[in-house]
Amino acid sequence: MQIFISFILAIISSMLIDNVVLSRFYGICPFLGVSRKVNSSLGMGVAVVFVIILATVICWPLYNFVLVPAGIQFMDTVAYILVIASLVQLVGLFIKKYSPSLYKSLGIYLPLITTNCAVLGVAQSNTDQGLSFLSSLANGIGTSIGFLLIIVAFSCIRVRLESANTPKALKGLPIALFTAAIMAIAFMGLQGLFSGIQL
Amino acid sequence: MEILWAALVLLGLGLLLGLGLAIAAVILHVKEDKRIEEVAKRLPNYNCGSCGYAGCKAMAEAIVNGKETNLRKCKPGKEDVNFKPIIEYLDQNPNEDGSKVNIHL
Repeated sequence: MQIFISFILAIISSMLIDNVVLSRFYGICPFLGVSRKVNSSLGMGVAVVFVIILATVICWPLYNFVLVPAGIQFMDTVAYILVIASLVQLVGLFIKKYSPSLYKSLGIYLPLITTNCAVLGVAQSNTDQGLSFLSSLANGIGTSIGFLLIIVAFSCIRVRLESANTPKALKGLPIALFTAAIMAIAFMGLQGLFSGIQL
Repeated sequence: MEILWAALVLLGLGLLLGLGLAIAAVILHVKEDKRIEEVAKRLPNYNCGSCGYAGCKAMAEAIVNGKETNLRKCKPGKEDVNFKPIIEYLDQNPNEDGSKVNIHL
């Protein structure tokens, strides 16, 4: 029970308090690039969730059972990139087969999940903090769902902004950047959410 | 010694992942009109978007599917380098039912 509670808490903490986009500033590229329509942002978010969780599940055993026994921990980044790139290829093939319209709307941003720093960031920070498999998994799930949450929320706001009466100089990307800043400030309010909980 | 291990492990990992992807590519294969690739090759491939499509591949798709008949929409394309080879290619490779792809300059 204790393990379960700390698992859930770890998910919520990496989802809301240490949100990848708004407090660690990872994955800004798809965050701004694919958030113009709610549907494509949802697709992007789900693809990133899939890639991050699978990358976490593969990278943790890879590091602890292959790289550490061989004494080549310094190769971790290279090995992770290899895993992530192949996973993204797989997701690309999958989406192309089962949802051509999503494939079209994601466009160049789909292969660019490879360079989405959120994916590599999760794998790397799991390794750097020396987390156990369960904590790594919680971190991966929380981070990716946090990304999904933020990109969908942001795209909903952007859709409304399209029809809003914004000043001419701020139309498009500038007002989107303002919005992102205000969202980041709002999420700072969640800091210290767990300060009263003893584990 | 370390470098040997590093090379070996990454080589093994690469082989394994490559094999997995090769299998996935066969299972998840999507049948695509071969002519789209060929037409896209003959376009300028600047991906400038001035034709109104999202890149040269998208325009090639529209041409082959008969949705785009006016090649001149491709602004950077040149008649000798791009348009004539496309017309020539599509003349030689008509649609499956034998009808010609409808394009003009």
